Amino acid sequence: MLREIGVASIDDLFVDIPEKIRLKRPLKLPQAMSELEVKRHMKAMLAKNKPFTQMLSFLGGGAWSHYIPSHVRALTQRSEFVTSYTPYQPEVSQGMLQTLFEYQSMVAELVELDVVNASMYDWASALGEAALMCARITHRKRFLIPKLISPGRRATLQTYAVGPGLEVAEIGYDRKTGQLDLSQIRAQLKKDTAGVYVENPSYLGFLETQVEEIANAVHKAGALFVVGVNPISLGLLKAPGDYGADIVVGEGQPLGNPVSFGGPCLGIFACRSEMKLVRQMPGRLIGMTTTLDGGKRGYCMALATREQYIRREQATSNICTNNSLCAVAAAFYLASLGPQGLRKVAERCAANASYAMKKLNAIHGLETPIFDAPHFNEFSLNCDDTHMSIEKLNSKLLKRGIQGGIPLRGEFPELGETGLLCTTELHSRECIDHLAKTLKEIVGGKR
Amino acid sequence: MPEGLYYTREHEWVKLEGNLARVGVTDYAQDKLGDVVYVELSEVGKQVKQLAESKAKEMELGAVESIKAVSTVHSPLSGAVKETNATLQERPELINTSPYNEGWICLIEPRALEAELKNLMDAKAYAEYLKGLE
Amino acid sequence: MNYQQARWAEPLIFELSKLGRAWPPPSEKLLKSVNIPKKLLRRRLELPEVSEPQVVRHYTRLSQMNWGVDSGFYPLGSCTMKYNPKICEELAGLETVACIHPHQSEDTVQGALELMYKLEKYLAEIAGVSRVTLHPSAGAHGEFLGMHIIRAYHRFKEEGQRTEVIVPDSAHGTNFASAAMAGFNVVVVPSDVRGRVDLDALKNAVSDRTAALMLTNPNTLGLFEDQILEITDIFHSAGGILYHDGANLNGIMGKTRPGDMGFDIVHYNLHKTFSTPHGGGGPGSGPIGVTRELERFLPVPVVEYDQKHNRYYLDYDRPDSIGKINGFYGNFGVLVKAYAYILLMGADGLTEAAETATLNANYIMRKLLGVKGYELKFDSERPCKHEVAFSAEPLKRETGVTVRDIAKRLLDYGVHAPTYYFPPIVPEVLMIEPTETEPKEELDHFVDALKAIVEEARSRPEKLRTAPHATAIGRLDEVKASREPVLSWRMHRRLKG
Repeated sequence: MLREIGVASIDDLFVDIPEKIRLKRPLKLPQAMSELEVKRHMKAMLAKNKPFTQMLSFLGGGAWSHYIPSHVRALTQRSEFVTSYTPYQPEVSQGMLQTLFEYQSMVAELVELDVVNASMYDWASALGEAALMCARITHRKRFLIPKLISPGRRATLQTYAVGPGLEVAEIGYDRKTGQLDLSQIRAQLKKDTAGVYVENPSYLGFLETQVEEIANAVHKAGALFVVGVNPISLGLLKAPGDYGADIVVGEGQPLGNPVSFGGPCLGIFACRSEMKLVRQMPGRLIGMTTTLDGGKRGYCMALATREQYIRREQATSNICTNNSLCAVAAAFYLASLGPQGLRKVAERCAANASYAMKKLNAIHGLETPIFDAPHFNEFSLNCDDTHMSIEKLNSKLLKRGIQGGIPLRGEFPELGETGLLCTTELHSRECIDHLAKTLKEIVGGKR
Repeated sequence: MPEGLYYTREHEWVKLEGNLARVGVTDYAQDKLGDVVYVELSEVGKQVKQLAESKAKEMELGAVESIKAVSTVHSPLSGAVKETNATLQERPELINTSPYNEGWICLIEPRALEAELKNLMDAKAYAEYLKGLE
Repeated sequence: MNYQQARWAEPLIFELSKLGRAWPPPSEKLLKSVNIPKKLLRRRLELPEVSEPQVVRHYTRLSQMNWGVDSGFYPLGSCTMKYNPKICEELAGLETVACIHPHQSEDTVQGALELMYKLEKYLAEIAGVSRVTLHPSAGAHGEFLGMHIIRAYHRFKEEGQRTEVIVPDSAHGTNFASAAMAGFNVVVVPSDVRGRVDLDALKNAVSDRTAALMLTNPNTLGLFEDQILEITDIFHSAGGILYHDGANLNGIMGKTRPGDMGFDIVHYNLHKTFSTPHGGGGPGSGPIGVTRELERFLPVPVVEYDQKHNRYYLDYDRPDSIGKINGFYGNFGVLVKAYAYILLMGADGLTEAAETATLNANYIMRKLLGVKGYELKFDSERPCKHEVAFSAEPLKRETGVTVRDIAKRLLDYGVHAPTYYFPPIVPEVLMIEPTETEPKEELDHFVDALKAIVEEARSRPEKLRTAPHATAIGRLDEVKASREPVLSWRMHRRLKG
């Protein structure tokens, strides 16, 4: 090959790199290992992790562990999907395109909105993009969010808001019920607000019961209503499109994707089919069309002029590589569960949380939930009366092989020594009984 | 190349109708762009400036999109947008099939017509200009 | 030519199901036990109802109508479609990877933190930078983060008036969009006759408003910006930051380093250079590396190592940090694959990958140079790097056949099309990136196919204009897809009335 090219050595192919910056030594990296060595080495390193399959864990907060059916995993590993690029050539990529169209369609049913994009990175970045979209559509610069929101999501939103100079303002909540303060929303809406964001279920697991009233107020003020969801909850709960959401974002990871230390996730992004909205949407959209002769149905990318590779600095977003394979897994998952299956998972999640709250609340010194409202599968647990910090409680639990809830005091000092716990269908009654028994020992043991 | 119209270097045309000016994009522009799938129209009442070397937002009358490209429509004259061609929302393909008639984009009430016409080309000059682009 | 893709008449999953069946509401007993009022329940849920074997067959068939690197040659320019080792997938699927939670106590995720810490170190060495963050989920996400770090840096130096980011006209679309999204004004500079950044134009564009230059090197034509030291000089003396788009790192890895060229921020596409799969569009991972001066602005948390206690931990206490760009710590599942890839390749293997990728691209360049119908618009004297951008303009002039026709016809030859119509500065461009994966025979087949297509363009152009013929479906009406968008099954049903 060198002879064909007409050079004497490989180095002759790098003569265009100025002498001064050529790397004249080997990279300071380990020497190559065999496949077997890599496997041994990495398995040993990773064995220092303790997976939640080997302990009892009650962690949620935006990354949720659910059962992934074996066939979903097997299909997700099919290398035709795994090793393909963005489907720029629709004729050889119908498999990916149709699967993504089915993902868009199934999530559309779940949220009851017509348009869903082919994925964003995660919930947090999807929220950031939603805020920017609201600002583009309304030409306004304020975006309202609940005070009780995951710190990671809020920080990400704040970064996204910097570019166009959006002001992110918080809405307070009722100390007894956790519900968003409607009068605050109404007052804030007067100040030229682009969008209002509500999470349902909320970060602390309770449901917002006044979403319809909020939607009305938001629309009356000419702003857009954005709702954040855990899609599993929609097996049971009212769809945001049914109570006035213009845009829905959420974390699609629980739909057939592993937790993997928080990534890759699946940013859900949906909106109403009004073209004023769709044209401002970020990300890739797959559309249904026909062959040029009209004879056969097929799928291809649609409305691509919104995207960076065509509109450059005028694009609705810079996103290019997204999280398609996670969306594909979500499609497999939703198709496999169907309406009844998803409802059953959602029921199990909620029933377990409800059982856990009842059990734990009976323990002297513990209070759960701290808000008087219906909950889905996450709930707050306060241990102020034990005179123990939530971290202390957690470390005692961990010594007994249980991963407790996410401490909330750092972000929300007004909540005191409170943690956020989560149950899914993976938890059995025995798991929850064991948690209750262990907590009782810890709390009782202190006194 | 229709006679009696004025043309810009960015391939917009102007047709004077009484005290108004009708604006569209040329056949050359639509051909370069390919099948038009969407036309973004400016708001009626918008004050626009005649396109100059330093392009700016206030010189834009909207955009014409094909599946693979977006082309900004610049205003050939300064003035106020009086009307836009709403039919294009439903039938963007008119830009391709009838660029000088049914595919018109908007009507402008010019502010400094006489002075600004000097900056535009007539059909002959535009034809020459296109030759230079080949 | 003996390629034929599977051609299943596969309906939508919804059409396989008995549609319109009501969502059976939960029982009263359950509702009572979970204390959820009826008004908060949904009224219906029209997901498909199909059996497990139906699901498996449906998606297996769809997979058979999808081209991947495992199917064959995928010379998509600027995308680095190299082989993805299977062991990497296996490792990312381990319970100790897939089943750890981002909020677990640090003591129970020491392996994950160690892997991230070491991967950062390896990547830093490869690009010649001081520190790396693994947070970004994709190249564009890395660019976006880089822009925020640049903004923070100029603010820190009380030079907030620096609001312009300079981008060459040959750059990836993401560069323009990322800069704009982070609030900068984009200034475009042209390329010169050699296909490199026009130095004079660059000098004229730089001012005290300049915040940064975003540059891809090797650039999107596959050419090394050989005046890079002059460029970095111009920028550093003007107080600007140099951002390296690392999409093309595969052409220079181990041969030279962006940090040594004078770049201050570098992004890596782990889903390109470090062989993690593209998954039909993602997930990827786009870490960025920075100089020592910029470390203080990195997003939180940062992975640190406490030598005394031999313990890794997450550090949130960084007052100058730009904050966060995603919910947790990045695409850990992808990081595991890239880490495994680096160990498999080792220092020499990575360098050899860049060498072989460059050799393969130059081989294609040489083989195609004499072929009438294709030409190089820029430098054909010096070697290219990992990719080469040919123009098929001569063929279009001669026969009317477009580069799109060529691309579609290539599919019939069992080769995925190269990138075309990008970069926009080359008319009728075919941007070809073979990667180090392909043997000489595959490259020869590709070159032969391109030659055969030239002949076909002359003898039977119709065959090209109606191509592809051997794929799951023929050419699609993409205009209709955008004029009358149908973006979901429910939208389809509604539009059909």
